[in-house]
Amino acid sequence: MTATPLVDAARTRRRAPFALLLLCALAVAVAVALAGCGEKRDKLGPGATRELELMLDYFPNADHAGIYAAQAGGEFRRAGLDVQIRQPPSPAAPINQVAAGRVDLAISYEPEVLRARDKGLNVVAVAAIVRRPLTSIISLPKAGIRSPKDLEGKTVGTAGIDYQTSYLRTILEEADVDPASVKQRDVGFSLVPALLSRRVDAVLGGFWNYEGTELAQKRRDPRIIRVDDAGVPRYDELVLVANEDALERDDSELRAFIGALARGTRALEKDPDEAIKGLLEANRDLDPKLQRAVVKKTLPLFLPVDGRPFGYLDGAAWHRFAAWMRDHRLVSEIPDASGAFTNRLLPGESL
Amino acid sequence: MQVQAEAAQHGPSSIRGTLVALKGVGRTFRSGKAEVRALDDLELEVAPGEALGVVGVSGCGKSTLLELIGGLQEPDAGTVAIGGETAAAARRGACSYMPQRDMLLPWRDALDNAGLALEAQGLGRREARRRAEPLFERFGLEEFKRARPGTLSGGMRQRVAFMRTLLPGRPLLALDEPFAALDAITRSSMQQWLADALVSEPRTVVLVTHDVEEALFLCDRVVVMSSRPGHVVASFTVPLERPRDRTAAVTDPRLASLREQALEALR
Amino acid sequence: MRRVALVASLLALFALAWAWVASLDSVDDLLVASPDETWKALNDDWSLLIDNAWTTLHEVLLGLATSIALGVVFALAMHLSRTLREAAYPLLVASQAVPIVVLAPIFVLAFDYGIGPKIAIVTLICFFPITVNVLDGLRSVDPGQLTLMRAFGASRIRTLRSVELPAALPSFFSGLRIAATVSVIGAVFGEWAGADEGLGRLVLLGNDQLQTPRVYAGIVLLTLMAVALFALASLAERLICPWTREERTA
Repeated sequence: MTATPLVDAARTRRRAPFALLLLCALAVAVAVALAGCGEKRDKLGPGATRELELMLDYFPNADHAGIYAAQAGGEFRRAGLDVQIRQPPSPAAPINQVAAGRVDLAISYEPEVLRARDKGLNVVAVAAIVRRPLTSIISLPKAGIRSPKDLEGKTVGTAGIDYQTSYLRTILEEADVDPASVKQRDVGFSLVPALLSRRVDAVLGGFWNYEGTELAQKRRDPRIIRVDDAGVPRYDELVLVANEDALERDDSELRAFIGALARGTRALEKDPDEAIKGLLEANRDLDPKLQRAVVKKTLPLFLPVDGRPFGYLDGAAWHRFAAWMRDHRLVSEIPDASGAFTNRLLPGESL
Repeated sequence: MQVQAEAAQHGPSSIRGTLVALKGVGRTFRSGKAEVRALDDLELEVAPGEALGVVGVSGCGKSTLLELIGGLQEPDAGTVAIGGETAAAARRGACSYMPQRDMLLPWRDALDNAGLALEAQGLGRREARRRAEPLFERFGLEEFKRARPGTLSGGMRQRVAFMRTLLPGRPLLALDEPFAALDAITRSSMQQWLADALVSEPRTVVLVTHDVEEALFLCDRVVVMSSRPGHVVASFTVPLERPRDRTAAVTDPRLASLREQALEALR
Repeated sequence: MRRVALVASLLALFALAWAWVASLDSVDDLLVASPDETWKALNDDWSLLIDNAWTTLHEVLLGLATSIALGVVFALAMHLSRTLREAAYPLLVASQAVPIVVLAPIFVLAFDYGIGPKIAIVTLICFFPITVNVLDGLRSVDPGQLTLMRAFGASRIRTLRSVELPAALPSFFSGLRIAATVSVIGAVFGEWAGADEGLGRLVLLGNDQLQTPRVYAGIVLLTLMAVALFALASLAERLICPWTREERTA
C-alpha cells in the first residue's frame, strides 16, 4: 500500500486558510486511508482462489523454510490457496489473532496453545511444524557446564517466560541440584548478548538449532543441553494453530494448506539448497550460510517419524506435557490436552 | 482657578464643526476587588483638520483615552463619537491608530508592513504594495522599501509605522506617544518629519504624549489631563503658523510661555 | 569552517574510543563491532543497506508530513477554542506516555500491514512537539499586534493569516527539529512490529543472526538519517524565517 506525499508545510504562511482546509482534508484522508487499507475480502466462489492468512511466530527464519518452500514452489497456488504470510506484531499476537478469527492460521508453541486453552481461547493445534523441543540451556566452554549437574552455583539468564523458568526447575530437580544455588536473571530477549558479555554463565530459551548453530559458526563452541534431554517432557516446539470454530467451516482449505506445506517440506528434504531459496529470496536480510545450516539440522524435525503422516501430533506426549504444566501450575482449568490438538486435517488422515 | 477659567475660554472650536466628541466619559478598570477609575467626566472635542495634543503624566489615562476614541474600548459612562457615530466599529473605521510600539511584523518588508492596514481591510498584497510605493517616494524612503524591520533603526521603524497609519486614508489619526521609545536626537528629527508629513498629508490628529514641547510643536491645540481619574484641566491654542520649523520653534518665546503654563497645569 | 573542524575532531575522538572498546579482550567481538568492521560491512552490504534505508526513509518522511499536518491542525484548533485546549491538552500529553512498544502492535493490527502502522507510529511521536511548539508560538504573539489588527478592522481569519501563523513559524521549526530527530526511532519501532523491509528490521534480524558489523552499519545509517533530517529542518528554518537572524543595518 502506498500513500501520496503531502503538501510542503512552508507555504502555509501566505495562503493559510486554504492550507488550513487542505491540511484538515489531508489529515482526514490519511486517517481514512490508513484505516481502510488492507481490509481483505475473501474471494468467494467455487473454484476461486481462497485467501489464507498465516501469522508466523517471529520474523521469518529457517524454522519457516518449509512454508516458504511451499510458497515459492507454487504448492499453495496449486492447492487453490493465496497464502499471505504475516509477521507477528507482538509475541502474543499469533494465538490471539487466531482466537479472534482475524487470521486463519498461526505458528505458535505447544505450551502457548495449552495456556491459551486454559484461558478459554478456542485455538487448536492442527499440525506439528517442529515436532520436538528446540529450547535449550546454552553456555560457553569457559562456564564449564557439560551437564545439568554443573549448573550448581551458576547464573542462568532467562527471557522471563514462566514455563521456561519451570523447565529450569524440572531440570535442576532431575539433576538433583539445589535450585537455591542457581541464580536466575531475567535478560529479556537478548539471550546471546547476555551470554557473550559473560554476565551470565548460561542462558535458557535459545534454540539449539538456531542460536546453537550460529554460535558454532562464529566459533564460540557452545555447550548445549536440550531441555527434553534433561527431564522436561517432550513437546512440539512449533505448531500450526487454527481457530476451533473454523475447523469445520474451513476444513478443505486447512487440509489443502497442510497438504501443500507437506509437499513444500518434502521438496526441502529432497534438495535443501534449492528449496531454501524461497525463504532467502523473500527475506534478503537473512544470512544464507546460517539459515542453510539451521535447515539441515532441523530437517528431521520438520518431517514426521516413520509411519506417521506429515505434521503428526503425538497425543500421549501432549497429555503428558499438559500434566507437567498442571504440576507446575502453568495451567489450572484444563484437565489434560483434550481438544488442544487434532490430527484429522493431516494428509492421509480420513475425515 | 486661573487654569479653569482659561479652559472655559478656549472651548471647542465650532467654526468648522466637530469630528470627535467625548461627553462625560468615564472608564473604570476592575481587577479582582480593586477598582481603578482611569477617566472620569472627561469632555473633549476635536475639529476636523485639527491636530490636538493630549499631555499628561504617566498613568493619567492618555492611552485609554486614545483607545476609547479609536473604538478599541467602550466608555463606562458618557459617549464617544466620531462624525456623530458612537458605534465602536464605526469609530474603528474612522480612526487610524498608531500604537506606542511600532508593531511592525518582522517577517514583512517595509512596503508590506506599510500596507498592513490595507490588507487587513481585505485589499490584496500586490495592490497594497502598489499604494504604499508613492508614500515611500514622497517621504524619501525608497531605498528601504524591501528592508525588513529587523534591519531598521527605531526612527525608521516609526516612519514605516506612520505610513501604515496614513495609508488607509481615514480621516482621524490617533497617535499614542509615537516617539517615546526613541533617543532625544532621533526624536527631534522625527518630530520635524511628522510636522512636514502632516503638511503634505493633512488629517485630523489626536496625539498623545508626555512631552509638552512635542505637543506644542506638532499640534494646533494642546489639552492637559489631570492624573487619575483623568479629565481635561487645561486647553491651550498654539498660535504658531504652519509649516513649522523645530529649530525656530525651540527659541520662540510664545511657545516658551505656553510651555510654562502647561507645565503649571500638569502639577 | 571552525565548526566543521570541531565536529570532525569530536567524531574522531569518538571513533578512537569506540575502536578501543571494541579491541578490549573482555568485550566479545560479537557484542561490539569495531569501526573498521562497521566500515567494511557498510561497503559489503551497501546495496542491502541502502534499499532498506530507502524504505525506512519513506516511512519517516510520510510520517513527518502527516505529523506536520496533524500538529498544525491541532495547534490551530486549540488556539482558537479555549474549551478544546483545556480538554484536549492533557489527552495529548497522555498520548506520549504510552510506551511505543505497546502501541506498535496495536497499530499494526488496526492499520494492517504495510506502511500504514509505521506512518501512524512516526506521526504519534512527531505530532506532539509540533503541536506544543506551534500552539506556544500562536499564543505568544504580541498582544499589541492583535490590537492593531483589530483597530484596522481585520477579520479573525485575516489576523490568523497575517499575524499569528507567521509569528508561530519559528516555533513550528523548533518543534520540527525535535520531531525530525525522533522520527527515525518511530519508524524503527514500527518495523519491529512487522515489516518486510527497512533498516529497523535489518538491525533486528542482524542482531538475531549475530551479524554485529551489519547491525552497527545499520545503526550508523539510521543515525545519519536522523541527523540529516535535523539539518534539513534547520536549513528550512533559515530559508523560511530569515528575519529571526537579522541585524540592524539602517
